[in-house]
This record gives sequence, structure tokens and C-alpha cells, in this order.
Amino acid sequence: MSTKREAVLEDVRSSLVNFDVEALHRAVLSAVESGSQVQDVINAMAEGMSIVGKKFEEGEYFVPELIMAGETMKEGVSTLKPYMKGDSTSSMGTAVITTVKGDIHDIGKNIFITLMTTAGFKVVDLGVDVSAERIVQAVKDNDASILGLSALLTTNLEQFPLIMDKLKQAGLGGKVRVIVGGATVTEDFAKQAGVDGYAKTALAGVEICKNWARQDQAKQT
Amino acid sequence: MTGPFGMVLASTFERMMAVYEGRDGRGVVFQPRIKHWFEVNSAAGTLPDKYQGMYLDEVYRDLDVAPREVWVPGTRGSAGYLALKIEEGDDIEVWSRGYRASSPEGEPQDLVFTEYRTPKGSISQLERVTEHGASVYNVDYFLKDLKDVEVMKYILQERRYLWDERRYEWGKKRFGDTIPLRVNLQRSPLMWLFVGLMGFQRAVTMIWRHPKEMEELLAMQEADFIKMLEVCRGKPITELHFGDNMHQDMCSPPYFKKYMMPFYKRVLPRVKEMGMYSTAHWDGFVGQLLPLVGETGLNGLECVTPLPQGDVTIEQMNEGMKGMFLRDGIPAVMMCPWTSLEALGDHVRKLLKLFYPRLILGISDLTPANADFERIRFVKGIVEEFNEAL
Repeated sequence: MSTKREAVLEDVRSSLVNFDVEALHRAVLSAVESGSQVQDVINAMAEGMSIVGKKFEEGEYFVPELIMAGETMKEGVSTLKPYMKGDSTSSMGTAVITTVKGDIHDIGKNIFITLMTTAGFKVVDLGVDVSAERIVQAVKDNDASILGLSALLTTNLEQFPLIMDKLKQAGLGGKVRVIVGGATVTEDFAKQAGVDGYAKTALAGVEICKNWARQDQAKQT
Repeated sequence: MTGPFGMVLASTFERMMAVYEGRDGRGVVFQPRIKHWFEVNSAAGTLPDKYQGMYLDEVYRDLDVAPREVWVPGTRGSAGYLALKIEEGDDIEVWSRGYRASSPEGEPQDLVFTEYRTPKGSISQLERVTEHGASVYNVDYFLKDLKDVEVMKYILQERRYLWDERRYEWGKKRFGDTIPLRVNLQRSPLMWLFVGLMGFQRAVTMIWRHPKEMEELLAMQEADFIKMLEVCRGKPITELHFGDNMHQDMCSPPYFKKYMMPFYKRVLPRVKEMGMYSTAHWDGFVGQLLPLVGETGLNGLECVTPLPQGDVTIEQMNEGMKGMFLRDGIPAVMMCPWTSLEALGDHVRKLLKLFYPRLILGISDLTPANADFERIRFVKGIVEEFNEAL
């Protein structure tokens, strides 16, 4: 790759890390005009998001910065859209993520989604207050390898075992790994519910999912 | 109030005053929030037999714990009795209608649509009523863009607050001799914007992209807050409470330093000068914010939630809150039947040991609807043992 092309892709990365929408717009156009492939530009933005995720892990960035980075990336993708053909795929697999029925809290879920996207997963966000039936259907429709469930209210934790039952009934037991989180969820409760993973924080949850994805990749090779 | 051998015991009122004043009140007050548990189980028909047909006050009396009713500005779903009234500007109309609609799941849901019509334009929000009608949450917020922000600024400019003497007198008659009067105020401007007016993600994006306009709005919110505060001046209020719902994932340390700290520093000297104590509701993850709270000038924090529900240990809470008092401290999840009684007992004893005398014990944030309600009596028993040993 030419030095000029690499320099432009570096501009893509750095403008994303600095949440500079105008600079990202210019860098994306410049990258395409100087001969970069669309996938290279997407990769540069993903690398920028990865740097943002690292800064979050290290305590330099916080949730508002994750949101700003996500918004900046959306703008970059929008600039790139006229040059895109088809859909890009993710090597990490697909994760369906949702807040369970009866619960509308979404901040933790949204942080988890941002970090999962940053880590390279394709994420299907079902939103909040979603029934077990709709969750199972979404896992099936998207051929998801991971299902992330969030609940904050103690009264909605009973949805976890219910969803596990429905997954089994749909023949998805063992095919999709289920991870749960939310302030009132404890490790003991997660174990009792029969899920595959529990995380106290979004960051810890992403690490678990990355390990699962690596295990899956190792099996395939 | 006398105990065995004619020993004079402090009343709940006196003990709470001692907490505010930083004295040893010769005993801890247990003041759990049970209103949500009571309302949901009443609506669902699942109240224990002995509480069927009772009012909330009577349940508190039966438990023999301090009531947690407060006098608040008053919105749908708020707790307590109202001592402040909101009066909108003369040329502002407020329209509201409730209706039933299908959810994406196909089930019926109850919604409340509210619209403000002003000479500057209209804004509207949509709220959904929770399953048993005990609360509402925003499906859609009033502020969606800069045009809405301008309308809101006008509403805030024209809004005023009045002291509601009749309601206050009625609340005082019920609780005035039992607990010191506390008034719940609006959230601090940034948290009000996040939770009540715009929603978190949109607000972060707007502050980032339109800093000037959003800072003007925050300044108007602060001016509105001061109006509310000033109505309390000279009234027999002991505690002014900021219902912030603080959580570091929303209000990060940089936001806290930029927006919250200056706000507290401008407003709290006024509260102090009015001869009142100040508290704020910190019910989320707060580990990164606790090191900053000492500089705010707040007298106490409510609902700080330790592990396993929150993100801090009791020791970290105690360290971060030096010089302040704590209201609550028992994670709500510990009231649920799947956590061990032994863990709950150990937790309560540690709280008492570390925080007394700067503690009003309660549940962070409230008693869950599916709690093992007898655990309230279990905790009360531990508190009584502690008080007797003093």
C-alpha cells in the first residue's frame, strides 16, 4: 500500500478517535479517491473504534466518548455508503442483544453493544422490553452465535430461565451461547438460570464473548 | 420515650436530627422504601393476607420502622405528599391524554401523551405506564432537536413554583412528629436533561454537537432549579433532596467535573444559608465519582448501592463519603429470596459498624416487588440488637 494511501487511512483512524466528523468525512472521501478499497476504509474505522475501546478500558474515555465515537463512525459509514457494494460480514460472529421483557433499562445494554461492535461482532439490537418468543426468533433468523440478555429489575430476572427453556424448545440449546448482565444479576442467579456466561461489567462481558468467538474459530480451522 | 429501667430513649425524629447534625443519636433509624412493593403487590392482588385492606402508613406502623414518605414537587408516580406546586406561564397550554395501544409484542400497553403548546412552538413526550401502574417511563422525550430546546427554554423561563401550604399541613399532621420534613427537588440540570428531558444518548450527542445551545439550556434549567429552591426558603424543611439518580456511566467523571461540581458549588451554599441539609440520590455505579463527592458540599448521599448490586464495597463507600452521612446501603437484591439471609445479616452489621452514627439505614434503591418482605423485620431485628448494645 502506498505511503499516501496509508497516511489517508491514518487520518480516517485518528479523526474517528478524536470524534471529528468533518475531518472523517474528508478523510473517507480522500481515501476512496486515492484508490483505497471500501473494505480498507471500513477496517481503518474499525481500528479507530478499537483504539476508542482501549481508551475506555484504560479509563481515559468514558461512556459519552463511546457514544460520540459511535456517532462519528455512523457519519463515516454514511459518507462511504455510495461506494459500498453488498453487506460486510464479521469474522467474530453475530450477537443478538436485548433487555428482557418488562424491563426498559438500556444504558448497560447499549454500552455492551458499542463494545461488541468495536470488538468486531455483528450486533443485532432488539431494544428493550422484548419477549422470550421474539428473542428466540431473532436468534434463529440471524443465525446468532451469542445471545446477550440484560435486566436491571429483580422482577424480570425470571425471564432468563424462561428464555433458556424456549431456546431449548426451539432446538437452539447449545447452539447459541447466552451471556447475562445487569446490576441486580448475581453470578449465583446466572448459574441457577443455566446460562453460559455472566459479567458484572460490559467490558468483562465482551472479553467472555471474544473468548467464545476464538474457540469457535479454532474449531473451524 | 422510655425503655427498660426508665432509661430515656431517643425518638426516631431525634435520631434522624442527630444524623443530620453529625451527633451520636444513641441509635440507628431504619427507614426502608416500601411504597413500590406495596403498590405493585396491591395492584397484582399479591399482598400478604395481613396487609390486605391496609394503607401504606399502616404497613409502616405494623413493621414499626420509620416511614419514608416525602413531600415532593409532584409528578405522576412520585412518592409522598406535595408541598410544591408548579405553575406554567399564562400563554402555555399543557395537554395530556392516556390511551391503550398494542406493543410490538402485540400486547396492550397503557401510554400517556403529554404536549406543551407555547408561542414558541410545541413539544411532546410519550410515557408508558408500567405493568401494575406503579410507575411510568419515557418512550419518547420532550426534546428531540434544537427547535424543541428553544421551546423548553421558554417554558422554563415562564414557569414558577408555589408553596402548597394545605398539602404541607396535611403531610405534617401525618408524619411531622415522626420524621423531619424533607422536600424532593428536581434532578440537577445535567441529570434532568439525561433522564427527564432528552434521554441520555441524544443528550450526549447534542452537548457534543451543539455545546453553546445546550449550555444555554442547562443554565435555564439551573435558573428554574433556583426558583424551586427559593420557594423553600423560610419553610420548616430540614432536608432538601436532589433526585439525581447519579450513575457514572451517564455522568462520567469529566462531565461531573464540568457540569455537576460547579452546579453544586453554586447551589449548595444557598441551601446551607437557608439552614437546611442537602442530599442527593446516587443509585447507580459510583466508584469513579465517590472520590469527587467530598468536594461538592453535600451533607449526605441516598441509595449508594454496594456490591453485589453496585460497584463499590462498603469500605469504599465509607472512605469516599468521609464527613457525609449515608441513607440506605442495603442492596435491593439482598431482599430477594434467592440471596442468603446470612449474607444480608453480615452486610447490615458491617454497615452499622462502619457508618454509625452517620447512617439512616434503608434499601438501595427500594424494596423490590418480589422481595421476601419478612426480611424487613429481619433487618429491623439486627438494628434493634445494635441499638440495645449502644
